[in-house]
Amino acid sequence: MSDAEATAPTLDEMRSFYREMLLQRRFEEAAARVYTQGKIGGFCHLYIGQEAVGTGAIRALRPDDYVVTAYRDHGHALSKGSSSRAVMAELFGRSTGTSQGLGGSMHLFDVDRGLLGGYGIVGGHVPLAAGVAFASKYRGDGRVTLCFMGDGAVNQGVFFEAMQLASLWSLPVVFIVENNLYAMGTPLSMQTPVEDISLKAVPFGMDRDRFEDRDVFEVRRRVGRAVDRAREEGRPTFLEVLTYRYRGHSMSDPARYRTKEEVEERRLRDPLLFLEQRIKDAGAGGDLAAIEESVAAEVEDALEFAENSPPPDPEVATRFVYA
Amino acid sequence: MPPEENPTAPAHDAPHPALPEGAIRLLNPDGTLVPGAQAPMGREEAVRLYEAMRRQRILDERMLVLQRQGRIGFYGAAQGEEAAVFASAAALRPTDWVVPALRQAGILLMRGLPLYEYLCQLLGNADDVTRGRQMPCHPEGSRFHYLTMSSCIATQVPHATGLALAAKKKGRDDVAVGYTGDGATSEGDFHAGLVMAAALRAPAVFVVQNNQWSISVPVSRQSAARNLASRARATGIPSALVDGNDAFAVYDATRRAVERARSGGGPSLIEAYTYRMGAHTTSDDPSRYRDEGVTAAWRPLDPVDRLRRWLERAGLWTGEREEALSQGWVQEIKEVWARAEAVPRPGVDSLFEDVFRAPTGEIVEQRDALRAHVERFGSASDEAH
Ligand SMILES: Cc1ncc(C[n+]2csc(CCOP(=O)(O)OP(=O)(O)O)c2C)c(N)n1
Ligand SMILES: Cc1ncc(C[n+]2csc(CCOP(=O)(O)OP(=O)(O)O)c2C)c(N)n1
Ligand SMILES: [Mg+2]
Ligand SMILES: [Mg+2]
Repeated sequence: MSDAEATAPTLDEMRSFYREMLLQRRFEEAAARVYTQGKIGGFCHLYIGQEAVGTGAIRALRPDDYVVTAYRDHGHALSKGSSSRAVMAELFGRSTGTSQGLGGSMHLFDVDRGLLGGYGIVGGHVPLAAGVAFASKYRGDGRVTLCFMGDGAVNQGVFFEAMQLASLWSLPVVFIVENNLYAMGTPLSMQTPVEDISLKAVPFGMDRDRFEDRDVFEVRRRVGRAVDRAREEGRPTFLEVLTYRYRGHSMSDPARYRTKEEVEERRLRDPLLFLEQRIKDAGAGGDLAAIEESVAAEVEDALEFAENSPPPDPEVATRFVYA
Repeated sequence: MPPEENPTAPAHDAPHPALPEGAIRLLNPDGTLVPGAQAPMGREEAVRLYEAMRRQRILDERMLVLQRQGRIGFYGAAQGEEAAVFASAAALRPTDWVVPALRQAGILLMRGLPLYEYLCQLLGNADDVTRGRQMPCHPEGSRFHYLTMSSCIATQVPHATGLALAAKKKGRDDVAVGYTGDGATSEGDFHAGLVMAAALRAPAVFVVQNNQWSISVPVSRQSAARNLASRARATGIPSALVDGNDAFAVYDATRRAVERARSGGGPSLIEAYTYRMGAHTTSDDPSRYRDEGVTAAWRPLDPVDRLRRWLERAGLWTGEREEALSQGWVQEIKEVWARAEAVPRPGVDSLFEDVFRAPTGEIVEQRDALRAHVERFGSASDEAH
């Protein structure tokens, strides 16, 4: 895709991206609601506010490319093509979930769509992504691996080890830090004196880029360049995308470490609102209600599907341990 | 993929002795100062530094021979890296912490550890305070503010960070210096430690002795970046790249870094660009994986000879002093070694000591069982060695 094409989206594209981001938002709002009703167990980390990052980035991929991510993974799974039914069912811990109910919110896994997890250990999945990219290089399958991580992950030792090998071995991988300014309650300024996270690429001689998430099409364009570099030149890239989460770190976090004003101010810069306005400006504001309705129906259907799905057979506990 | 394209296949590319771009040098290999440079230390201090470096060279040579004779189990030498080790340590106060890797044990001798203790540790005998529980070259020196070496590479970075933070917390203005090699910079601990030091402004200095080899793996297989000093940039730590065979450049960079740390300016990193002139350890044969012609090309850059040439030009050193230093030291090593070697190994009972103040029932039981076994079959530690 050419740069020009990527920056000037068609109206169809705008509607389609908007629906995808809105679905993630409404899906998670519903998940949060039923979580408080005790229908979802375990941890649950909402992506609300960050949807433009995953959506824009994954739209820069081919369907057979891989995504590896952390625990804030609902949006990534939906963008990668997992059905809202399977994702919701996984949150409910049902056998119809992406991971057959064994993983839950943090461990979405959908091999047919190239979604290779969903991981809970901060930074732990970064070397796995490098390994997946190594496999692609070894097999010559032309696939690219996109690895999402948080700003907290870049302080972990394994992150550096993975960056090092990706760079030395020229692996087709794109690392994306979703810098939402907090690692749980720790603000970025307490984690590091260098707030430009993209500088982490310097010791490894890796290409880097840094930009905001406000325009999802700009995200796609900038990630697209990195994906092309990975696919065509076999070179990794390190990207930092500046974003924000509106909710707490997880469902159990009241987020007392930041002010209401800060959150309100960030909400005004919501990429979803930005795209909505763009659609209105293009004279298609009348389409928004229908999109909202179709998303609501999809979320309702996902909830119903999840609730009515059976829990995993107890036998499953031993089934996926040894080949 | 064909094997030649396997990115993990070992390479045999050896780096040549040119100084890398941007590296600081004060002292030329011929012992003259670089135009505009000044000696960064006093004359007497320079003499003492030289003596420490020369002693290390002689000690290493002697110990390598003893190891080959089967009288020491293992040895890791500092050959070619004496400036990086001793000139950096010379820029410290005695209360500054040293967190060594394999090639820095000589710092302890410079700080006053009796040679006898050093040699007993190499032997792991009954007079070794760690009673043979550490590999050779891992002397204990906490009374000299020297942390016993951790064999795991790169741990020096988090450990030095911890010691530095402890000093800060106690309100002392001591600094901690962590030494690593080039290979260690590929470890996660190295980076996690730097991140922590940077975030908490630890009064620490990290000295990376880039001797071009991590056992058989050359730096080109460890790093895609132009130099290792850049490893610090990602964490906001200032760094310097210096000619590691130039005692003055190493000393000057360390002094600046230590001053910065001591005055609350936070950590810094120094890459000392040097070459490992010998084997990785006595368990290694570098001729199997590197071109020893390159090693020979490094010889004219020798750090010990370089400082000696400067001293001679400055009228601070003579052939007679060299003779006296060398003969006196060889003699001392010989005598102290003879005493140390005569000390028996720690008794088998020592295996059960130093864990609990009073041994638990299980430990007493196991000790008695071992005693009975030794009674019946004898013990290797009774044999002459
Ligand atoms: C190795 C490890 N340490 C600590 C934790 C606990 N933990 C869970 S999430 C988190 C914060 C991560 O923040 P960040 O990487 O910025 O991601 P975000 O939650 O902002 O998406 C921490 C510390 C963990 N899961 N793994
Ligand atoms: C964590 C860890 N991994 C592997 C080893 C094995 N090992 C011992 S020394 C060494 C190479 C170290 O190279 P470098 O850091 O360059 O130091 P040098 O020996 O060259 O001074 C390795 C891999 C180890 N001791 N610790
Ligand atoms: Mg974060
Ligand atoms: Mg080395």
